[in-house]
Amino acid sequence: MVEPAGKRILVVDDASLVRRFYREALERAGFEVDEALNGVEAVEKVLGGIYDLVVVDVNMPQMDGLTFLKVLRRQATAVSSLPALVISTEAAAQDAAAARAAGANFYLVKPVSQEWLVEHVSIMCGRPA
Amino acid sequence: MSELPAVSEEEFRKVCDFLYRRTGMLFTEVKRYYVQRRIAERMASLGISVFATYFAYLRGDADGEIEKFVNAFTVNETYFYREEHQLRCLSSDLLNERVRAKRPGEALRIWSVPCSTGEEPYSIALWLLENWPAVDVQDIEIVGSDIDTECLAAARDGEFGQRALMRLTPELIAKYFVESAHERWRIVEDLRQSVQFTTANLMDPAETRRHGIFDVIFCRNVLIYFDDASRRLAAENLFECLAPGGFICLGHTESMSRISPLFEVRRFADAIVYQRPKGGVRG
Amino acid sequence: MPLVRRPSPPFEPSAAAPVSLTEGTSDQRWAAVRAAATRPDGVALLAAALPQERDPRVLEAIFTALARVATAESAAAVAPFIRSDDASLRAAALDALRAMPEASRPHVSRLLADPDPDVRLLSCELARGLPEGEANRLLSALIDGEAEKNVVAAAVEVLAEVGRPEVLAALARCAERFAGDPFLAFSIKVATDRIGEP
Repeated sequence: MVEPAGKRILVVDDASLVRRFYREALERAGFEVDEALNGVEAVEKVLGGIYDLVVVDVNMPQMDGLTFLKVLRRQATAVSSLPALVISTEAAAQDAAAARAAGANFYLVKPVSQEWLVEHVSIMCGRPA
Repeated sequence: MSELPAVSEEEFRKVCDFLYRRTGMLFTEVKRYYVQRRIAERMASLGISVFATYFAYLRGDADGEIEKFVNAFTVNETYFYREEHQLRCLSSDLLNERVRAKRPGEALRIWSVPCSTGEEPYSIALWLLENWPAVDVQDIEIVGSDIDTECLAAARDGEFGQRALMRLTPELIAKYFVESAHERWRIVEDLRQSVQFTTANLMDPAETRRHGIFDVIFCRNVLIYFDDASRRLAAENLFECLAPGGFICLGHTESMSRISPLFEVRRFADAIVYQRPKGGVRG
Repeated sequence: MPLVRRPSPPFEPSAAAPVSLTEGTSDQRWAAVRAAATRPDGVALLAAALPQERDPRVLEAIFTALARVATAESAAAVAPFIRSDDASLRAAALDALRAMPEASRPHVSRLLADPDPDVRLLSCELARGLPEGEANRLLSALIDGEAEKNVVAAAVEVLAEVGRPEVLAALARCAERFAGDPFLAFSIKVATDRIGEP
């Protein structure tokens, strides 16, 4: 299998242990990982760096994940089409619909295993899992 | 002390996670030695011998402990041309955008709050005179405010020592300062008169409101150390004092992500700044 | 002429504050909301304005005003919005409750026992602002009885920061009950390591 060269993932979740769990899995799989803990910080990071994918939670302080996605999709630059994987505790169909309407490419419900995360991220980054 | 008391891997991570959440400052593996040393210094200073006790103290932020802890990792002194990248952003991008919003003859208004002993507002004046082409045709009003009246008195006095001028070239010093005493320089009268100094408490809407509306606000290295409620209120008060489309600049280790969602993030070549949206809410 | 020497006179805002929190432009509503924080009837006005307001910045100002008031009444006006279907309202409500820890305190134990798991989950964050003994007691009791994995995860996240040795037993019981869940096993282990020796 080809090793991923330099695919960078931004992990956005207000829970430090969730970020760590995802980071360890993604780094083991060869991805580079940055973190943010709310939507405002996530906007700063995407404007200031180059990412291949953003993994984002919904419930976060200051700015929730769906508002972040709307801000992201409104940007005038290429960053507006950054692929976004939403991983949320909200399980109702309406929540997945709201996420898609906000600009999510994919929606998963927590808890998400490390294998499931890596598989989805790999596919979304255009790599074999 | 000869040896740092051991802080376990998880204790180190616990402190880092906490500080990242509260302040946005990221301490990683490379800083481990310095973080451990700081923990040891603080514990010794407070007479605390058990890590768990110190962490509870840090969490509670008693006596401004978070700021005290973080002080060892930030440059705290104020000097001319500190955070020059923001000054570059001001003259390269921010003011040019703001000029388009002004009526003919209307002054651009810039606020430095807190201004401490005046280095920041005078730096802005100096920088613009030296670096902004439109400075000859555009009226600019610079206000420096602080809660500390002694700082304000010193600022009005406009006299500085060597350390404050360390980032300025000899040419700049010769041009804008007059040696007033042994190794003390006073800023030239024209510039001294160009900055208005006032008292202001960021927490008091009446005090902030009476300063009027600004195009750019510099509010560096103070908000992040307020508690949650105070940060929100101060951010709101500053928002009210910004023109729609106006900008606010924080300290380089600070972020609005830990303060308020009111502002929009704008990234320029030299800095990330925050903008009051052009439509909508005015105070 | 550059660098104006004669500064503007102090800006004197009009003495009469706008009255209605629900009428007028968003600018006017924002100003009225800000002024309401210091009025004796403020909480009632702010609470009445909340359900109808759509402008995010006016909403933010309402929540900030209620957080400034910081009474049992203002916390009670905010708390129901944790249940909102709108993620941004949930975030704003939690931020406001977090900004008034004393006023929110009486609500936390009730919210942690709410029949809705989403409410319990979000309320774990509020335990972070409680005095440590109380936070430990409430979260420990929560995880002992909790069936929802995501709620347990939220509690463990907070315990990783505030946990004391007295919760280690409850964490161990949790680890056993949720042994099949890799994330919970991982988080409980981290929290346990951080809490250290009893």
